[in-house]
Amino acid sequence: MSHVFLLGLAGALLLGGAIVSLALARHRILSGWLAFGAATAAGVAVFAVVVDTFRAGAGQETVLLRLPVLGAAWTVLVDPLSAFFLAIAAAICVLSALFSVHYMAHFERDSVARFYPVLLVFLASVVGVLVTTDFLFFLVFWELMTLTSFFLVTFESESRTTQRAGRKYFIVTHAATLGLIAGALVLWQTSGSFHFGAMRDALATLLGTRPLVGNLVILLFLLGFATKAGVLPMGDWLPDAHPVAPSGMSAVLSGALVKIGIYGLLRVFCGFVPVAGPVAGWGIVLALAGTGSLFVAMPTALAQTDSKRLMAFSTVGQIGYICLGLGVGLYCLPDRPALAALALMGALFHTANHACFKACLFLGAGAVLYRTGERNMDKLGGLGGAMPVTASSSMLASLSIAGVPPLNGFASKWLILATCLLAGMTAPLFLVLGIVGLFISLVTLASFLKVVGAVFLGQPSEDPRVREVPWTMAAPQAVLAALCVLLGVFPQVPLRLAHAALASAVQIDLPSSQALIGGPWTLAPSIGGLSVAFWAPLTIAAALVVLSALAYGLQRSAAARVRRVDVWTCGEPHGPSAVRYPATSLFVPFKDAFHGIYPAVPARAPAFPPALRKALDLDRWLFMPAARAVDRAAHGVGLTHAGIPQLYLLWIVVAAAVVVAIVLLAS
Amino acid sequence: MTTGALQVLGLCALNVLVAGLLSPLFEGMLRKLRAIVHSRMGPPLTQPYLDLLKLLGKEDLRTTGGVLSALGPAMTLGSVLVLAMLVPMGAPPPLGFAGDVIVLVYVAGMGAVFLMLTAFASGSPYAFVGGSREMMLLLAVEPAMAIALVVGAVKAGTLATGAIAAWQAANGPSLSTILAGLALFLALQAQAGKLPFDIAEADQEVMGGPLVELSGPRLALVRWALWARQLVVACLLVEVFAPWPRLGLLPLDLALTLVKALVVLVLVAVIDVVNPRLRVDQALRYYLRVGFSALAALAFAVIGM
Repeated sequence: MSHVFLLGLAGALLLGGAIVSLALARHRILSGWLAFGAATAAGVAVFAVVVDTFRAGAGQETVLLRLPVLGAAWTVLVDPLSAFFLAIAAAICVLSALFSVHYMAHFERDSVARFYPVLLVFLASVVGVLVTTDFLFFLVFWELMTLTSFFLVTFESESRTTQRAGRKYFIVTHAATLGLIAGALVLWQTSGSFHFGAMRDALATLLGTRPLVGNLVILLFLLGFATKAGVLPMGDWLPDAHPVAPSGMSAVLSGALVKIGIYGLLRVFCGFVPVAGPVAGWGIVLALAGTGSLFVAMPTALAQTDSKRLMAFSTVGQIGYICLGLGVGLYCLPDRPALAALALMGALFHTANHACFKACLFLGAGAVLYRTGERNMDKLGGLGGAMPVTASSSMLASLSIAGVPPLNGFASKWLILATCLLAGMTAPLFLVLGIVGLFISLVTLASFLKVVGAVFLGQPSEDPRVREVPWTMAAPQAVLAALCVLLGVFPQVPLRLAHAALASAVQIDLPSSQALIGGPWTLAPSIGGLSVAFWAPLTIAAALVVLSALAYGLQRSAAARVRRVDVWTCGEPHGPSAVRYPATSLFVPFKDAFHGIYPAVPARAPAFPPALRKALDLDRWLFMPAARAVDRAAHGVGLTHAGIPQLYLLWIVVAAAVVVAIVLLAS
Repeated sequence: MTTGALQVLGLCALNVLVAGLLSPLFEGMLRKLRAIVHSRMGPPLTQPYLDLLKLLGKEDLRTTGGVLSALGPAMTLGSVLVLAMLVPMGAPPPLGFAGDVIVLVYVAGMGAVFLMLTAFASGSPYAFVGGSREMMLLLAVEPAMAIALVVGAVKAGTLATGAIAAWQAANGPSLSTILAGLALFLALQAQAGKLPFDIAEADQEVMGGPLVELSGPRLALVRWALWARQLVVACLLVEVFAPWPRLGLLPLDLALTLVKALVVLVLVAVIDVVNPRLRVDQALRYYLRVGFSALAALAFAVIGM
């Protein structure tokens, strides 16, 4: 079956599912199951396309709709780069839909009619963004994606913070979209077509004739996509919007939506910007933006006490790592394609990994929220015993994001840092950036040890409501945690796919993935035939397991008696909540050192002109006066109905007299 | 199985045995040294071994029943022993094909991660304070350690630990590597948990910090892991930043490395004896300076000095 047919099928399933789940929104659980079913069926179709693309390469470009007046045509093409992101987005959306089935049932006020249908349309628009190769239609889907995600973020209609965060998201991302439109229009003016290929040629021409305008166009694209990806300072919307969305949607935002920004950056910088041109300079810009972003966001994450806000800030930080990898890759692209390919593969791999662990963490925070109604880590603690699946999944994901070998977060961070340091041997700036990256990964570790320690570990919670979440919520977390382990231990598979994705996107020939990452069990990137960095996850994992098992054997060797005792609190008995060490108190001197690194600028929205407000307020000058007039008239008519028979008789007599008078006068 | 694989396994076993079996002896010597400075007799050199044996048989008191508190100490020791296999000891690191200096830095942090998780799992507020301090020390120390190793990597043009050590052995000292070695030495003080940086365990303040609720065999494993870690990091320091002379014969090279490591640890212990404990914010400031000085070493390395 052709790609377009399968994608069309997926789109039809999603839109059909949206309509059906909208119709049945009164039944919360049923509507959720229907949405999950539609998402899964569409996901299967999308995965068929993904598998076929990776096996057989990019398909044929298909024209679905022509707008010759504008020089635009809706062309659809799935190449491996699209397929890579399609796989991430579809997987995360399906798992989040499953998680949401029971999760959304606990919002009593807000109807799920505003969630599931929008979620399905959102997924359809993401698929549209990823497969379209014409900028006009790309922007149409991009806008649809932004709008649907805005409605998903602002789902909790009665919360002021939610509405505020949603408004910020709406304004900031639309400003960014404006940049995209402006850039596209400049290129369109040169070439007269919105097709990606034509735009690439137009950009090359523009850079040749008017380099300043050409670079300005690149800057506009960078701003547009980096804002969506959440690179600071444009990504300032992200730490507000991600925590307030329903948890399933937070996972989709961090797992899939911000990745679309990365996709855009890759498309533009690998596909559009000519390799012989200013790509190396833009590599430095991206690397600096990424490093700045991670250096500001992670210490800020460490200082948060709201678990979801902490995770949102860490998304900004991890996107910083991805941008650092992209930057190193672009910088090396003209001269050292091997190193460039490795760095870009690292960035893509980190994109996939971040989708796994961050979605898992957001779902974990959602599970805790579902059972306790609490996001403040100071008020949580000791949930691990009662929620074993949630706790162990969140812990694996936390260790993964912190870069503990041999989990997946380490594998991709290692590739990014190794290429950064290797690039730094000739361009010392990257040495400093690599060391900042190393340091910040420790801050990540501290942040997520705080989450694990403060929420799940410690003395068991005394809260009677706390027990494991239903399986529909536990299973997605377990799947994502398992993916964290599998991708970490077998990094060759995702790296091969990332290589295929890049080979289709960049404009030069890359060395084969075999030559780049070495043997089947060891990642040994070689530069100029010499292996200069090594990571063999299976070997290290096996060594760790064997040695830990030996150590455990030693622990049990003397058959020491095990006895349960209370925590020693200096001889006086205290309950767990009385002696619990609050999350705020962890790492205080270190947090103080970074105080104020994320400046909170008190921004006041410009005052809305009162006259305009009045003009727009139809209630005030049209509906309410009209309603009141009708009401008054009805009241006046009502006065005639006093309920006294004599009065009614009088009315009849008067009416008869009037009728007679009219008849007499008329004749 | 090929001879190559057997050789790797043999070297792995050797490194693990050195780190596992000799580290209590080193600890015994350091205790003796401390006693001499205090004008005491001090315990016999074998005391750490006896301590371990005794602890292994003692009752294991647990505050929480979780898997983490049961397995955490074993994972701590296991990860320190994995670190031992990534560090050269008289020969190139046996698992050098599986991990470069970046892996080494992360694996070095792993032991601390498992120790902190064990501590948090116990639920004791003292363990939380200790774990928090341990994490902050890690934040302060690991960058200095990483920068020092990156200096070696820049000089040698590779990230492979063994190749960096070999390059050092062949090319002799230079300004940048001396400065970097110094930074790693200063980082060792905190890595070994010695005064003035025994802030995490700080017996008089937080009663052992992460160790407060550990007892019996679990305490034995954690203590053992801490002793092994100080020996392994000392070996890393002398192998990467002072590998001379390289005799080419494994037993002799190993013996030489261990003697040099002992000298380094004796220096660490002397600093330990004559210093009071710093507060954690003071330690952070101190290592911030160490880190920036190490960056100077990196600058020298970049310009080829």
